Amino acid sequence: MSRTMEKGSATIPVKVELRKTDSPTRKSFSERMVEYGELDKSFVVFESDIGYSTYSYLFGNKYPDRYYNMGIAELGTMAAAAGFAADGRTVIVSGYGVFLTMRAVEVVRSFICYPHLNVKILSSHGGLTAAIDGVTHQATEDIAYMSTLPEMKVLVPCDTVSARGAFDIAMRTPGPVFTRLMRDPLWDIYSAEETFVLGGSKILRKGDGITLVSYGDIVFQALEAAETLRSKGIEAEVIDMYSVKPFDAETLLASARKTGAVLVAENHQKRNGLGYEIATFLLKQGGGLVDGGRRILFDNLGLDDTFGESGNYFKVIDKYGISARAIAEAAEGLLRKR
Amino acid sequence: MVQEKITQSSEISKEKIKQLKETAKQVRLHIVKMIHKAQSGHPGGSLSAADIMTALYFDILTVDPKNPRWPDRDRFVLSKGHACPVWYVCLALRGFFPVEELDTLRQFESRLQGHPVSTKTPGVDATTGSLGIGFAQAIGMALEGKWLKKNYKVYALLGDGEMQEGVIWEAAASANKYKLDNLVAIIDNNNLQNDGFTDSIMPIEPLDKKFEAFGWTTRRIDGHNMEQVLTTLREAKAHRGSPFCIIAQTVKGKGVSFMENVRGWHGKPPSDQELAQAIQEIEGGLK
Repeated sequence: MSRTMEKGSATIPVKVELRKTDSPTRKSFSERMVEYGELDKSFVVFESDIGYSTYSYLFGNKYPDRYYNMGIAELGTMAAAAGFAADGRTVIVSGYGVFLTMRAVEVVRSFICYPHLNVKILSSHGGLTAAIDGVTHQATEDIAYMSTLPEMKVLVPCDTVSARGAFDIAMRTPGPVFTRLMRDPLWDIYSAEETFVLGGSKILRKGDGITLVSYGDIVFQALEAAETLRSKGIEAEVIDMYSVKPFDAETLLASARKTGAVLVAENHQKRNGLGYEIATFLLKQGGGLVDGGRRILFDNLGLDDTFGESGNYFKVIDKYGISARAIAEAAEGLLRKR
Repeated sequence: MVQEKITQSSEISKEKIKQLKETAKQVRLHIVKMIHKAQSGHPGGSLSAADIMTALYFDILTVDPKNPRWPDRDRFVLSKGHACPVWYVCLALRGFFPVEELDTLRQFESRLQGHPVSTKTPGVDATTGSLGIGFAQAIGMALEGKWLKKNYKVYALLGDGEMQEGVIWEAAASANKYKLDNLVAIIDNNNLQNDGFTDSIMPIEPLDKKFEAFGWTTRRIDGHNMEQVLTTLREAKAHRGSPFCIIAQTVKGKGVSFMENVRGWHGKPPSDQELAQAIQEIEGGLK
């Protein structure tokens, strides 16, 4: 492997503009996979019978001899992918987060991460973005499982452009990479020329009142919350932490020092998600005392030791405390502690 | 193809069988010694597989000890990873690493981990130690071989208790779908697992009928009859058209009287006295 690890850092997008899209990130990721398949003929794709949902079928249609549909057998699929990757080949495994990261987690740990194989996991239905499908299909612990595993890298793109960027990061990063994708289309914010790197982040909005950190679908909620906060005289800095592991600690710390308050909102359990990771990181910067002794306020939003439920996505994320309303309220509550 | 036909039809000489039997006894001696030295490890399932592993490493497998990752090599996966002492011995005797290194089994910073690790031990193609998963990895290796249009075969050694894992049957089905005739599974059918006899813990038979129903070609053999082992492995090596499964009837702890067919010797090292007796019995068998 001659590929080297990227040095992540924040960039400010050329333009941040919310545009409705009809392409969910799972689809954009798979479309990029098809394009990439033309450039690089050395990788193959494993699917376990939800190719028409993850859109991996697009790859199968174009490259039938590089597409293995292993049936409804996520454990065997993941292990066979490990076998295919055993001599260094890149293998993409496509499926739903709950099954790939939980049913097959031991295979990912012991037989992909431990031997550092080039297996890239395309994981759809992340968090409550699969709201309509109910708890069995909502991967609300996937980030915890995957980011805990040594060697594993974790990416969560929020839109069409960053989903394509995530695919490219996964392909040029040595070893296992997990990419969480969404069931339903939401918005696009990035323009086509944006670039994404492992360990990088995007500052979507500059502000000095509070730092809002998020990834994936909740990025849009954070942006909307920032609008609400502006109307109350609070300028929020909004960071899209699309590289969840490793995350862009440098940018986070610089922003935290500037605003003095960090609120992480994620479509995931509060426990062992990015919020916990950032809280630990901030504590290590001198017991939470940074920048001339100013205490950094911190809170995190996510599923609070509970499961989700079926229903309209916007109603469900609001009920479980990760909507724009919930984020704005939590931000104000946090700042009142100052 | 010509080469394969010659192999298939060639008589197995008495001398060859004698040599392999001698080697198998050396393998057994190293197994009991290294597990005794480590005071940890799994002697029962290592000894039951000793004849099969000897035939594989000293006749069947096309491997290059000087180039363990040679792309055209035959692959071997020890799906019953706990039996790695027998594998380490075969690899050492074939020259993948020094025989003296066998004394480091399970020791701090040794290349010979408690269960096989591909990134540490030369000749280990797949990390294993979670039952069922090695076999499923072998499927992926065979798929890659087919995709690359390579001639190598993938051999996987499985335990019979391992047949209780659901993933075995996911893998068996996929081997049929993709007509993996470059895949050979050998089941070390010693009828014992950690907690007792396999047919009482969770019956797995009839294995031949099950694999046949999954589209495999099967053979039942005596896994300690070197002539049968070798003949059947050569047949498997030449076979085309379907994946091949050999159900080898074996005795757990084979070669050491007090270990044979005794549940307690699944994962227990011998004492000094027991080692002395084991060596005597195995060497005695040399005559």
